[in-house]
Amino acid sequence: MRYLARRLLHSMLLLLAVSIFSFAILQLAPGDFFTPLSVNPQISAHTVATLRSQYGLDKPFPIRYEHWLRSVFRGDLGLSFASGTPVAPLLVFRARNTLLLTGTSLLLAWMLAIPFGIWSAARRGKWTDRAGGVVTSSFLTIPDLVLFLALLLLAVRTGWFPTGGMMSARFDDLGVGGKVQDVAAHLFLPVVGLVLATLPPLVRHIRSAMIEVLEAPFVLAARAHGISERRVLLRYALPVAANPLITLFGYSIAGMLSASLLVEVVLSWPGVGPLLVDAILAKDVYVVVAAVMLSSVFLVAGNLVADALLFATDPRIRTEQIN
Amino acid sequence: MQETLGHGMNPESPQSNSNQFEPLLRVSGLSKQYVQRRPFSRQKIVVSAFQDVSLEVFPGETLALVGESGAGKSSLARCIALLERPSTGKIELAGENLLALNRKQLFPIRREVQMIFQDPSSALNPRLTACEIIAEPLLIQGEGTKPQRRARALQLMEQVGLDSAQEHKTPLEFSGGQRQRLAIARALALSPRLLILDEALSNLDAANQTLILELLADLQAAHSLSFLHISHDLRLVSEFADDVAVMYQGRIVESKDTRKLFTSPEHSYTKELLASVRSVESILLERSA
Amino acid sequence: MTHRQKLACSAAVLAAFSCVILFAGFFAPYDFAAQDRDTPFAPPTAIHFVDAQRSFHFRPFVYGPRDLAQSPPIAAAASDQFHPLSWFVPGAPYKIAGVFTSRTHLFGVAEPARIFLMGSDAYGRDQFSRFLYGGQISLLAGLIAAILSVSIGILAGGIAGYYGGWLDEILMRGGELFLALPWLYLLFAVRAALPLHISQWQVFLLLISVMGLIGWARPARLIRGVVLSAKERNFVLAARGFGASDAYLLRRHVLPQTYAVLLTQITLLVPQYVLAEVTLTFLGLGVGEPMPSWGALLSSLQQYSVLASYWWMFLPALLLIPIFVVFCAAADALQELHKSVPL
Repeated sequence: MRYLARRLLHSMLLLLAVSIFSFAILQLAPGDFFTPLSVNPQISAHTVATLRSQYGLDKPFPIRYEHWLRSVFRGDLGLSFASGTPVAPLLVFRARNTLLLTGTSLLLAWMLAIPFGIWSAARRGKWTDRAGGVVTSSFLTIPDLVLFLALLLLAVRTGWFPTGGMMSARFDDLGVGGKVQDVAAHLFLPVVGLVLATLPPLVRHIRSAMIEVLEAPFVLAARAHGISERRVLLRYALPVAANPLITLFGYSIAGMLSASLLVEVVLSWPGVGPLLVDAILAKDVYVVVAAVMLSSVFLVAGNLVADALLFATDPRIRTEQIN
Repeated sequence: MQETLGHGMNPESPQSNSNQFEPLLRVSGLSKQYVQRRPFSRQKIVVSAFQDVSLEVFPGETLALVGESGAGKSSLARCIALLERPSTGKIELAGENLLALNRKQLFPIRREVQMIFQDPSSALNPRLTACEIIAEPLLIQGEGTKPQRRARALQLMEQVGLDSAQEHKTPLEFSGGQRQRLAIARALALSPRLLILDEALSNLDAANQTLILELLADLQAAHSLSFLHISHDLRLVSEFADDVAVMYQGRIVESKDTRKLFTSPEHSYTKELLASVRSVESILLERSA
Repeated sequence: MTHRQKLACSAAVLAAFSCVILFAGFFAPYDFAAQDRDTPFAPPTAIHFVDAQRSFHFRPFVYGPRDLAQSPPIAAAASDQFHPLSWFVPGAPYKIAGVFTSRTHLFGVAEPARIFLMGSDAYGRDQFSRFLYGGQISLLAGLIAAILSVSIGILAGGIAGYYGGWLDEILMRGGELFLALPWLYLLFAVRAALPLHISQWQVFLLLISVMGLIGWARPARLIRGVVLSAKERNFVLAARGFGASDAYLLRRHVLPQTYAVLLTQITLLVPQYVLAEVTLTFLGLGVGEPMPSWGALLSSLQQYSVLASYWWMFLPALLLIPIFVVFCAAADALQELHKSVPL
């Protein structure tokens, strides 16, 4: 238990550091949201200054940070300059969509990667494994951007899939079943893209983790006892390989978040990605900081889950406590 | 209980070939402790490598240090070679307390004491050539020009029985015994007075062991070198050591000249050690019986 | 194919490609910014050997703009405009490595014909030429950023591994911070801090610096591991016994052990950084117009009309694939070789 508490504390400190860091680099920017206005001769400097102080942009850094931190704990993430609306509801709406996308993709990717990885490891060296390896390698080397653009091209050229957005125009007219189907249709391509982007490295890692375990002496002993290969694979090797795989799970979340940003922009899925990009272009400070913090929270949370799972499944970590 | 040596004081002991009765190296009350701290906890675990060690090495003579692995012998060797700092005690070389000196003052002293490690493969940088390896101490101490250093390196190679035409080879291209000779050549580069051999023969086969021992004996005679030879092989020790110190659980339990140790051991651990050494004849006798 | 052969092969391909990119001005028939408003979105120019009269010409030729300007473009119709392909033609001036000027291009056609090997974009700019010039920007950015990252990594990892203690703690915790964020988000956040309207060169330099500064943590961790094990080796101890200073030990004994790791890291990082630059520019956050970074070439693909009607605009994306394949092959081969080299 102390192990988990320590990990939690560590994560909190990390998030705090990240927030200071992201807030700091944004403040380093020369000029701010209102700089383009100040260049406009028709708007007086006085107006610009008033706007600045109205939005609190003229106070020094520590004060703004402290202000921001306090409001975060109240649930207020600041104001989006571009849209004039509070950041929090905007972000929550987008975050929900991103979670839907990444959650589905994560689940699907792992559900595909584990059997495929185990299967390749079991048939290691045979031509099926080698063929699988070639396929994996080729997808590995295709840049994510190219992959997503290809999917977009597919959608446009064939017309089989919607080319963007989360719902069609007549969404509100559909019944519940219809609504689900509509979202699913829009979700299809982004999920395919994300899964294709993150699957190959996963399969590779799972395969090598399994191979490492399969070469251990205790597996050889189990085989010598006449235990069936299938049992050896699933009941003996897999639980031991679970340790590195759970750690991998934590890391895969990071990769997934980075890739999801790109897929959302290319395939026009209304998640945090496009929000972030637009905010950067508009120098919408609070939105940028909030989005970056959100992704960090997802990441850290994912790693914490992985740590908890590890604690629950790996007896070595629990005994380390007692010593 | 320990007995300190007084080599010249015992008229029955074989006379050494030195005419000095002052020890070259005197170690007094040396101890070393490691403190381990667990992260996020107040616990401190104190591990003692060795405690209250005192010994003396006389010019031109060999002191053997025996004991089981993990008794702290290597740690002691590193402290005497000035590669680690002991927690307490004194190390005197020709009367001068080395532990009281700062880094700059210690720099020229380093020439006097050199160490030969157990595994020659790890003691030699695999990327350098034999010539570069042997010349390195000269380079570090700033001696001579490049051609001079090379000449000296080649000379040393010949001295240890290696063919100087092989100067361009890397350590991996030499055999185990040859690598140890390289290490010895390197150690001799600065003309030291004391050589510390940390289980230097343990990784070699019996034939090579004999050859290297002969080489060491020749070098000792030629340059009046002193050796502190750490070994766990008592049989070997009986062949070359003038005096023996026995280490048990981090302390010196017995220390006297070789013949006396073998004929009249006092401490129970020494007796145990001796009992486990059997000559080839006694083994063969038993088997044929 | 053995790993060594694989490495040699991929290195050769990369070298050849880099040569072409370096002399982009020579290989490209047009300047990257040369617009031709008469031929927007022209498909790749068809090169013919047989003309409408069914006679064979040894010298390949193209048809004139009158045919090209029609939409959909007419190919191989009977035409009185006949423009043979010439080699080593004089054309728009360009600079090699920013220093030498030249006017000779490898191939070209006489005016008013155009030879668009990969078609043209909305402004009538030759995509092929832009692709070659784009390589200069994207590859250079990736290379410099990777070197920067690895350099910081050596510094941080070397100090942390060698001196240990609180220095090690601080550096590794700091590195954790950089590793904790999804790198694309971090890149964006830092990019957001930079002004949007500054000169091209400044953007380029800032971009490289930012990418380099973000990615130091992983190489640093690896190098720290190597340094930690190297400094305990007996030959380092022996050298210290001769009185060697820390600087000497690092320089002569410890750091050379890291070369293998460094090389592998650089080969892994370069394609990642090239991709990062391409992604940033694609999203409008990188080098701007008219610099033809590969990202800029791909950005037009976000428009529906482009994807629907002009298939050749996708070619730069396809061409990226073999480049990355070769990079990955080289990195893989290096990693396998490095594993089997005894320390």
